[in-house]
Amino acid sequence: MPSTILYSSCIAGAIGLYLLASGVRTPVRGLGTLIALGALAWLMTTTFNSVEGPIETSILPLIFGVIAVMAGVRVTTHRRPVFAALYFVLVVVASCGLFLTLHAEFMAFALLIVYAGAILITYLFVLMLAQQSPTDGTDSGSTWYDRTPREPAIALLACFILLSSLVQAMTDQEARANVILTAEKAVVANQVAWADLERMPRQLERVAKGIDPSTESVLGGITFDGKTAQIEVKLSNGEQKKLTLPDDVVPTNTQTIGLALVSDFPVSLELAGVILLMAMFGAVVLARRQIELGEDEIRESAGMAPSVQRGGDE
Amino acid sequence: MNLISTLAVVGESTELTELVNPRTIQICLVFSALLFIIGLFGFMTRRNMIVMFLCTELMFQGVALAMVTFGRMHLDVSGQVFVIFILTVAAAEAALALGLVVLMYRRRATLDVGEWSELREC
Repeated sequence: MPSTILYSSCIAGAIGLYLLASGVRTPVRGLGTLIALGALAWLMTTTFNSVEGPIETSILPLIFGVIAVMAGVRVTTHRRPVFAALYFVLVVVASCGLFLTLHAEFMAFALLIVYAGAILITYLFVLMLAQQSPTDGTDSGSTWYDRTPREPAIALLACFILLSSLVQAMTDQEARANVILTAEKAVVANQVAWADLERMPRQLERVAKGIDPSTESVLGGITFDGKTAQIEVKLSNGEQKKLTLPDDVVPTNTQTIGLALVSDFPVSLELAGVILLMAMFGAVVLARRQIELGEDEIRESAGMAPSVQRGGDE
Repeated sequence: MNLISTLAVVGESTELTELVNPRTIQICLVFSALLFIIGLFGFMTRRNMIVMFLCTELMFQGVALAMVTFGRMHLDVSGQVFVIFILTVAAAEAALALGLVVLMYRRRATLDVGEWSELREC
């Protein structure tokens, strides 16, 4: 994409976001919304036309992405924190739609459950615990620090310089060449998929039995010649036979993620467990109240007998 | 459509763009950058501590989207595995940060970060 278009749409988006964030009156905010939407449409049109590809399958990600970005802007500019949190749910839902169009089904639903279901509920709880009712304002339902942004102009300058360089890096000539899937990459991906199936022996056996019910056991690994994959099986009457595998028996998205998680990244998985454990400890330490204990209770909780003096005096 | 199930006839360019649509990839990359930037902007400009953390979650969303898109671009599953780790860190961060926010709210009875500005260096 030409740099001038990129930079000018970034500047327009920055102006729109500035008006949206710091505008006090409704018409100013409306103007900001219009400018920001125009900049977004401009940027997306040029991105859309920068590469070749089927148009009909790329409409859906466009819609989901526009919803995500608009809801994201509302998260950052809404004056009431509870509404900001609810708009964040919309961001999560829309980006799950994007994940679905990228064929990452497991991640889409995991993110939906964990983010929209769990993390956001925590945020809402804390908001309701900590939100104070406005005492000073005319704008009902929001406090002064939610209405006045801190240094929006400087923040926008930094953000949109970063944005233009990011988009530049993502859409330049070299990156565009990377985006297009080549036949070699596809062959490698296919080999990986069949190798994944080979690492699941029981499923492979089920697949072989599904193709030929008289299969007794699978003899060798999968041989893939770039077009078809074959396995050698032993039939129940003792014969050996080659079966051609149909392509819909490759492991599904969830299966490949699980396999990669436990066989390619086992240490990271353990570390993630440790991080969660430490977070739990931290949360317990933060939430705990200091309770004054008498000497007897301390001794009792340490598993010792009550102190001797009391018993001795009586 | 499965990740690789339509790859029966490898090598025909129309099939390949059907499988991984370059337009979709490009759009998703730009949207991930936009989400990240909007989150960053919110983190810098909002004064409410809870909304600031919400904006970091927005940045996490952008990064997760970029990871999944890169994974799709190379037909590789590692990108999605990394999103699982992002999810872990986000959950841990939310638990700790919100606990801290509640503690700080109890001490000053406000969510304004400006109240804590004496903690900064200069």
